Amino acid sequence: MRAERTGKPARILAVWCPGWPEEDADGADARTFGHVVTVVEDFCPEVEVLRPGMCVLGARGPARYFGGEDALARKIAEAVAAHGFDCHTGVADGQFAACLAARAARPGRPVSPGDPGAPGAPGAPGVVVPPGGTRQFLAAYPVHVLAAPGLAGQLARLGIRTLGDFAALPARDVAGRFGAEGTAFQRVARGQEPRRLAAGPPRADLSTALEFDPPVHAEPAAFAAKGLAEQMLAGLAACGLSCVRVRVEVTGADGRESARLWRHDGLLSALAVAQRVRWQLDGWPPARAGGDDGPADEAAGGITLLRLVPDQLVPDEGRQLGLWGDDLISGRVERAAVRLQAMLGHESVAHPLLAGGRGPAEQVVLVPFGDIRDTRFPADRPWPARIPPPAPATVYPAPLPARVIDAAGVPVTVTGRAVISAPPDALMAGDSPWLAITAWAGPWPVRERWWDERNATRRARFQLVTEDGTAWLAAIELGRWQIEARYD
Amino acid sequence: MRKGISQVTGALDVFDEPSADAAPVGAIGLIGNAVSSQVAEALRIDGLSTGVLPVLPALAELLPARGLARGSVVVVDRPGLLCLALVAAASAAGAWCGVAGIPDLGVAAAAGLGAEPARLMLVAHPGPGWPQVVTSMLEACEVVVVRPPARPPAQIRRRLEGVLRRGGGVLVAAGEWEGAPVRLRVARRSWAGIGDGYGSLRACRAEVVAEGRGAVTRPRRRWLWLPAPDGTVIPDETGDAGRIDFPAGAAAAGAPTAAVASLRAAR
Repeated sequence: MRAERTGKPARILAVWCPGWPEEDADGADARTFGHVVTVVEDFCPEVEVLRPGMCVLGARGPARYFGGEDALARKIAEAVAAHGFDCHTGVADGQFAACLAARAARPGRPVSPGDPGAPGAPGAPGVVVPPGGTRQFLAAYPVHVLAAPGLAGQLARLGIRTLGDFAALPARDVAGRFGAEGTAFQRVARGQEPRRLAAGPPRADLSTALEFDPPVHAEPAAFAAKGLAEQMLAGLAACGLSCVRVRVEVTGADGRESARLWRHDGLLSALAVAQRVRWQLDGWPPARAGGDDGPADEAAGGITLLRLVPDQLVPDEGRQLGLWGDDLISGRVERAAVRLQAMLGHESVAHPLLAGGRGPAEQVVLVPFGDIRDTRFPADRPWPARIPPPAPATVYPAPLPARVIDAAGVPVTVTGRAVISAPPDALMAGDSPWLAITAWAGPWPVRERWWDERNATRRARFQLVTEDGTAWLAAIELGRWQIEARYD
Repeated sequence: MRKGISQVTGALDVFDEPSADAAPVGAIGLIGNAVSSQVAEALRIDGLSTGVLPVLPALAELLPARGLARGSVVVVDRPGLLCLALVAAASAAGAWCGVAGIPDLGVAAAAGLGAEPARLMLVAHPGPGWPQVVTSMLEACEVVVVRPPARPPAQIRRRLEGVLRRGGGVLVAAGEWEGAPVRLRVARRSWAGIGDGYGSLRACRAEVVAEGRGAVTRPRRRWLWLPAPDGTVIPDETGDAGRIDFPAGAAAAGAPTAAVASLRAAR
């Protein structure tokens, strides 16, 4: 599919649906995105899903068939739009540049094949960066677009602010200063593949497969996928390899097949693979005709074969575990967690991780058991305007609606300049009775993520102590009071 | 394991600057040693293989076994800080802790008391199959905290108590559990550091009452700092005199006397 072996960079087409959340979000988004992937798969069977909202495919073959990259991009965008999804496309050398090109595409403009190059150039349905022009296309972007905050910060401090500057540095100096990671990112900035791929297909067949007899439904198959993934990763590890992409192939009892490639930014763990199998199987149509669980229907809608094929193998550089092993989970605990997950669902068993944030709800991330424990907001950074310790013992996942009145019985408000209308006198939290407020502190105004329309918050927090000795963390936002947490 | 020790002692040694010369420091230093020696003892005899899991020293005298006796149920009135404090020392000493049915658990508060979030297993909504969830957790975790539904049926209680006796785990029930040997609750509390529009919550004096059968027929009452200004749990030596005497620095910038007065008025 890609021309790595000839030395020429691969042409990649990225399809970006701006509606999806940026984060690797929950399964619902992944499931809906499956419709888009199905549409794109009509053009090219080898579609890689990077995350819900973004998928890529090798453009060289399909472009030849559909009459050029522009025509292919337009046809894909039209097909996706016909299913009611907003979609941008970008074509460039390499996946990273293609994704940026898709983001640079502006909707609702005519195609202008003569002017495809510069970032943000208009051209619906997408931007096509000409072959060999990727380095120039990337040059104007700031280094922060590289998904490496540490490296980008260092580069910025060194005065290297754009990918063009970074690409122009001598590769030897980059390797000496920033190591293997820096080299990989410099290759990206130069419009090359980040890692030299292991050439050729692996000599041994490293795929693993499981046959189901009698055929099973999606849920047991997804459950079996974890064991299968472990088997696959163990086989890879024995060869000193790991994979950044995995192909999941499902065969149904009625002969239908579903194959999809899944990529992960880090290296795939067994549970991460199992989660992707689950996403793929969520789109598997259930038994035909009615909702009966009759044996005939079960055979018709069932799954007979699940195969995991590792793809894009890279040398396993190993992951260093902490010396005292925060991440080391004994087999006993892991077995119990897996059993509970089989009973309640993967997301239902959480392994908490402390994170950074101003409010108490942001300071803990609930990672499903077995997933990689990582957060974008580490706890050890300064968080000005953080609520001072002690931490509340009860943190409501969804804030309780509340009412706060002053001595005259009028709802308490806070002005834009954080001036309180009157001292609070009584609190009604949720459906509890009115409680007299005996002590209070605040308002502590906090305005967060004002650059992000959907997640922006502007609120003023208070600590309130009521007559029963309970202390509350309350907040007022847009004139509405809510209880975020309770100290008890 | 070593991390557990350093966390416990670290948590106790870190003390706010302003209160460094205040009266309770000596007590806290001693308690810090007590915890670390307790943990070290637990480690020396191969992890947590004793019959009693450690608790924070301030809570030990409220419990008949001076800790969480393996195979027993401990009842707390609600899943608040007292509940987290009960399991904090065991978690710090290396025990896994399962929590079922408490979606609003303050993990940061548990960590502040010394518990290790990496050894927590949370099931926010176990649903009607909660006894099965607790049983599965007890196979992996030394301590399981559960908020049972109102009045769990006797049959389910007996079945889980059987699992506890066989497996040697400890069940902390945040709610009702008839026939439990010991039941802890917070009877009264007053907050320090917050006033009428200034300061912030710094510490809380709480009167903890232990009731139960057998060795605890007579209720025991203790005033504790839950938590103290440094985030630990320590006995409050001022006792039940009604005198609210905060360590220096307990009340944040502002007039501590006003904070005290407002709290006294609240009582």
